[in-house]
Amino acid sequence: MEKNSRENNTADIASRRDFLRKAGTYTAASLTGTAMLLSPKPSKATANVSWAEHFQKHYRLMTEEEKAEAIERLEKRYSEEFGKKVSVDGSTAIDGVLFGYALNIQKCIGCRRCVKACVAENNQSRGKEQEIEWIRVLRLEKGNFSEEDRDKGGYPDDYGIQVGGNAYKPAGVVLEGQHYYEPDKVPEKDAFYLPMQCMQCEKPPCVKVCPVRTTYRDPDGIVVIDYNWCIGCRMCIGACPYWARRFNWGEPDLPKEDMNPVTHYLGNRPRMKGVVEKCTFCIQRTRKGRWTACVEVCPVGARKMGNLLDPDSDVRKVLATKKVFRLRADLNTYPKFFYFMD
Amino acid sequence: MTSNKWCGNLIGLCFLAAVLPSTTYGEATPAGKQCFESRKDMSQVQQKAIHPGEPNVKCSPTTGAVLWWGDPFDGTIPMGDMPVEADYSHEEAVVRPREPQIDRNKLLTICSMACHNGQYVPYPKDKLPRPLRMHNDIVPDAMKLKHGKGAIWCLDCHHAAERTKLIDHFGNPISFNEPQKLCGKCHGQVYRRWREGIHGKRIGMWKVGAKKRWWVCTECHNPHDVEHGEQQSGFAQLDPEPAPMLPKGMKNADHERLHEHTHYSGH
Ligand code: SF4
Ligand code: SF4
Repeated sequence: MEKNSRENNTADIASRRDFLRKAGTYTAASLTGTAMLLSPKPSKATANVSWAEHFQKHYRLMTEEEKAEAIERLEKRYSEEFGKKVSVDGSTAIDGVLFGYALNIQKCIGCRRCVKACVAENNQSRGKEQEIEWIRVLRLEKGNFSEEDRDKGGYPDDYGIQVGGNAYKPAGVVLEGQHYYEPDKVPEKDAFYLPMQCMQCEKPPCVKVCPVRTTYRDPDGIVVIDYNWCIGCRMCIGACPYWARRFNWGEPDLPKEDMNPVTHYLGNRPRMKGVVEKCTFCIQRTRKGRWTACVEVCPVGARKMGNLLDPDSDVRKVLATKKVFRLRADLNTYPKFFYFMD
Repeated sequence: MTSNKWCGNLIGLCFLAAVLPSTTYGEATPAGKQCFESRKDMSQVQQKAIHPGEPNVKCSPTTGAVLWWGDPFDGTIPMGDMPVEADYSHEEAVVRPREPQIDRNKLLTICSMACHNGQYVPYPKDKLPRPLRMHNDIVPDAMKLKHGKGAIWCLDCHHAAERTKLIDHFGNPISFNEPQKLCGKCHGQVYRRWREGIHGKRIGMWKVGAKKRWWVCTECHNPHDVEHGEQQSGFAQLDPEPAPMLPKGMKNADHERLHEHTHYSGH
């Protein structure tokens, strides 16, 4: 194009490589035929995984060069599959950063926008066959007390042995939490909401049980998964007390136009059938300084996130000034996801 | 008819009459896809491409709520000088101006020009509640304002003479872009937490010292109804996003809706 002899060698090589890569993309795409190009769905990932990708090493054991090659391979494959320029980032943890999260359950209105924002950002499978969501919002009842229940609460009879409380009739808060609530409007008068996602435990049981060590804790505290090394045994799903992990039972369904092309190797890059996935605190965003999609979307500002090692960060200010708790603290998982109230 | 007579006296009112039949206060302009940020109909965004194939926002197909920002700082202006030192003093803080949102049908501008110019509607003698003939679309039952339990009324927040402004304790005008300066007059504790960044909403960069877009009070709360009936949550009710997919083979979610669990009954 407007190239002239003054341009140095590196630029030349780079542009040639660029040209070859682009040429390769278009050839491969045209080989698969017009049908694929027009179809809103990408071709099946499992069919496109190259020999080199299939036999690549565990991400953590790769040299820098091998990592770069793996990333380039993926960028090429994804760009072909989704018909647009897809980037795969390999950024490592930022020095001096340990990510933490705080969620205000007093504010949460149960709108589930965080759930859908996460899907828009993280390329989960959607559609009728397999819908994957990393965040789950639980609806909890505030109470179910009635005068009638006080005396007719199910005690066997006037002289019966009382086995403690209303043993035969539920009273008070009795639902164990609803996942599938569908009221016309939220928040409802008699309910509050508790969103759950990966807590990025400091002592993650999922990491302990993984037989191939494909899931591990990175220095910034994010528990990541090398999807290519996952054997799909689902041990981690059983070990996680917070029900944070999801399994791709089928081929993921990710429409081309909805696919978010800004990805990270350990984060939102498209997954394949047979691997486990979960929240990574939007690693592709947070390692570049941006807040997670769920923090940004929450219409009531219930979600706060930042560096636990920085006393001036939002999350540390919450820890310093609010009443906080963690889920299942008794399990010694040390989650970095805190709940708080005003 | 009547408005034609007024036209002779007040030029602006003709304009008002021309605008009123076509738009009602609070209605979205019907051009392109409109989504809302926090408050439905009061924090609208127009969907557009910021780069080819890259939208400024992604919206929920079911509720029309914004789910995702391509550029968190699109359409923002600097927060401006704030009277108190806080987080925003040490990093780049931007806001989406409220004035274009509130004034999107130009009613605010016209009202202050046509009616509240100090002549047509004279400045009120006091701040006491009285039956209103206008503004019932904004505050349906003004005599029972759902804010302050009867202890405050319109002119405690709105400037008596400058209708495009709010008012501070000294009688100075406050821009609609900076409602925090007004709300902070009473809600000191909340104002303080907001300044620290742990009350309210911000998007952009998480790092202390990096750029953030701050949400101001009226982007989430309706100052004319903070009670919201029985909810008392401070937020208007919204449509929730759809429930997750049921596990394969499960027909419905009745099991989690029943109060009488099987293991409780039977005796
Ligand atoms: S919440 Fe579950 S998936 Fe996340 S780190 Fe803890 S055990 Fe692992
Ligand atoms: S977006 Fe915010 S308010 Fe809505 S469910 Fe999620 S945490 Fe709760």
